[in-house]
Amino acid sequence: MLNKLRQEFLENTTQLLIVNNTNQVLDTDDSLFSIKKGSDITDFHPFFHVISSLFEDDRKQQKFYCVQMEIKGKTCFFDIRSQVDFEKKQVVLFIEDLTDHYKTLHQIKQVRNESIINFNITQELNHQLNVERGFKNKFLANVSHEIRTPLNSILGFLSVLENTSLDREQLDIIGIIKDSSKNLVAIVDDLLDISKIEAGHLEIKNKRFDFKKFTKSLVKTYDLQANEKRLQFVTDIGTNIPKFLIGDQLRLNQILINLLENALKYTHQGTVTLRISTTSRNMRRIPVTFEIIDTGIGIPKEYLTTIFESFTQLEKRGLFGGSGLGLSIVKQLTQLMDSNLEVSSKENEGSTFKFTISLGVSHDQKEEKETPVIRNSEKRSGGSKKKKYRILLGEDIEVNQLLMMRLFADEGTYSLDIAKNGEQVVLFLEKYQYDLVLMDLSMPVMDGYDAAMRIRNHTDKKIKKIPIVALTARTTEEERDEAKECGMNAYLTKPINSDLLFKTIDRLLHRYKPKKEKN
Amino acid sequence: MSVSKKIVLLGHFGVGKSSLLRRFVENTFSENYTVTIGVHIMKKEVHLEKDNITLVIWDVEGTDDFTKYRSSYLMGASSFIYVFDASRPITYGDIKYNLEHLKEKYPHVSAHIIGNKVDLVDPDVLLNDLKAQDIQHSYLSSAKTGENVELLFKNVAAQLLENA
Ligand SMILES: Nc1nc2c(ncn2[C@@H]2O[C@H](COP(=O)(O)OP(=O)(O)OP(=O)(O)O)[C@@H](O)[C@H]2O)c(=O)[nH]1
Ligand SMILES: [Mg+2]
Repeated sequence: MLNKLRQEFLENTTQLLIVNNTNQVLDTDDSLFSIKKGSDITDFHPFFHVISSLFEDDRKQQKFYCVQMEIKGKTCFFDIRSQVDFEKKQVVLFIEDLTDHYKTLHQIKQVRNESIINFNITQELNHQLNVERGFKNKFLANVSHEIRTPLNSILGFLSVLENTSLDREQLDIIGIIKDSSKNLVAIVDDLLDISKIEAGHLEIKNKRFDFKKFTKSLVKTYDLQANEKRLQFVTDIGTNIPKFLIGDQLRLNQILINLLENALKYTHQGTVTLRISTTSRNMRRIPVTFEIIDTGIGIPKEYLTTIFESFTQLEKRGLFGGSGLGLSIVKQLTQLMDSNLEVSSKENEGSTFKFTISLGVSHDQKEEKETPVIRNSEKRSGGSKKKKYRILLGEDIEVNQLLMMRLFADEGTYSLDIAKNGEQVVLFLEKYQYDLVLMDLSMPVMDGYDAAMRIRNHTDKKIKKIPIVALTARTTEEERDEAKECGMNAYLTKPINSDLLFKTIDRLLHRYKPKKEKN
Repeated sequence: MSVSKKIVLLGHFGVGKSSLLRRFVENTFSENYTVTIGVHIMKKEVHLEKDNITLVIWDVEGTDDFTKYRSSYLMGASSFIYVFDASRPITYGDIKYNLEHLKEKYPHVSAHIIGNKVDLVDPDVLLNDLKAQDIQHSYLSSAKTGENVELLFKNVAAQLLENA
């Protein structure tokens, strides 16, 4: 009874076949498909080529899941079980039609695979975009750096030229060239910053700084500029803000300079106000709000959203026209400081830029003992002084050598020798006597860092202790730190400001002057 | 009657195994992706200089986990053709691992590595990447353009005859 039921039940879903080891069909019940006895089963479907390997395997039984076959134009899915009789050299095949089951499975896998592949492709595209962006940033950084070097020598020589005997008109022209070059330096610096921010390389470095002094110098600069434009520069700086704060002074300065310059640029009458305030009396950390308010031309409503857009975005939309990257940098810098730059503006009435950053309060509010720089210009320029200091310059680029020579030409107190690379610097030091080394950091053969390390590890005590001043066009904090680590005593950024140069030299010579040296 | 040899197409899903087979057997191509489940088998006779050979090619459902391959699909195979998608690095990142697994279980079966969909990529970039990952591919192919498809199956067949 049950057997009969079972037969009925399985009739249309299973087929039994017996095949010999030469692929000949010995018997079949033809429930799923009909096949002639005595025919070669591999002609029916190539799956059955597998039969020969069934006889080569030790296992008696095998199961082949989900074998796809086209039968009478219909796609079917079978599970096929085999049982080999090695003695009789024949195999029983039990074929089960599971087409419905597998069709459902197919739909599920179709959706799953497609979505995974799409995800892969998006990921790959993102990866490529990141590679390209990295390339762009590196390119920007390199190009900016390359441009800085010649720009610096232009600026340096302009200063030299300025001090030769020129008439009024020539001086005016030099003034214009100088301004334009400085603008160019500023743009190049912006590009460098942008590439760093976008590459995520720009870090906020929090250090203790004198907030009073910081604002004072800002006020001084912009008071002057406002006066020149016949504008009023109003400052309102909260008296409850502690003198010494902890924050990134450099970047804060960059933000305020950008905003103040903009305010002055776009205001033709009235006032520009800088307001700095805090509501907190916390001893450790206070929110400081900065507001730059002008009575200028204002910003049309439709531009309010785009003024902060990054260079990349503006460029994409064809809007980048040298309009200054300043605001986008400011925006990104404030974001790096966990703040948000807000703007409100009305056309022809003015704009207000506002942001609040959290600054640490230094627990040490005492003035640092500042070592007064002993700098007596007469001592330097006057030929009355008998002692001449011998300075060694390590510098590979000819224009920079020339520029230095020019700066030293007016100085009676020093004589200057030039070495072309770090190796030469060390050689010269071993051969002659010097009081101080000025060292360019990037030089061929041996760079400034290596040379400084050589000097600091030198066996000759006198050489080992000579003051070294690093000179470089690069301005990153890391380089400054690295220079320090290599044992350099001071760090000057090109273009070299002659006043600062000689101040630094004097300070170091004063400090390091060999006691018993007579020369 | 010519000899017949079993070849298995392996690799991640969507790399173009079925497309390569269809290009080889029927000389057609479709942009539409129809997932293969289980196994789909096709055969084709290849005419070589000395002899003819019938390739019985098992186009197996793609997977990224080779330990899950059903051993019955692979039994009796003379050659494995491992296909990856040149436009999706994830499909060749684990090649070495998977091939080692195969070599362990089927030490006498030769394996060929095929980078498919080369029409989608910059060949220099791809070659660099493969070199960096130390992947020694046998052929770069495109089921779409037909590039190297016939050649790769013919060469696999020729090698099988040689070893037979
Ligand atoms: N451009 C391009 N597309 C291809 C090529 N080969 C396959 N494709 C496409 O890739 C997708 C997947 O191809 P299939 O041949 O189905 O991939 P498969 O390896 O058989 O996938 P599974 O059966 O899921 O393992 C389809 O949309 C094809 O049109 C190729 O050489 N070039
Ligand atoms: Mg397929």
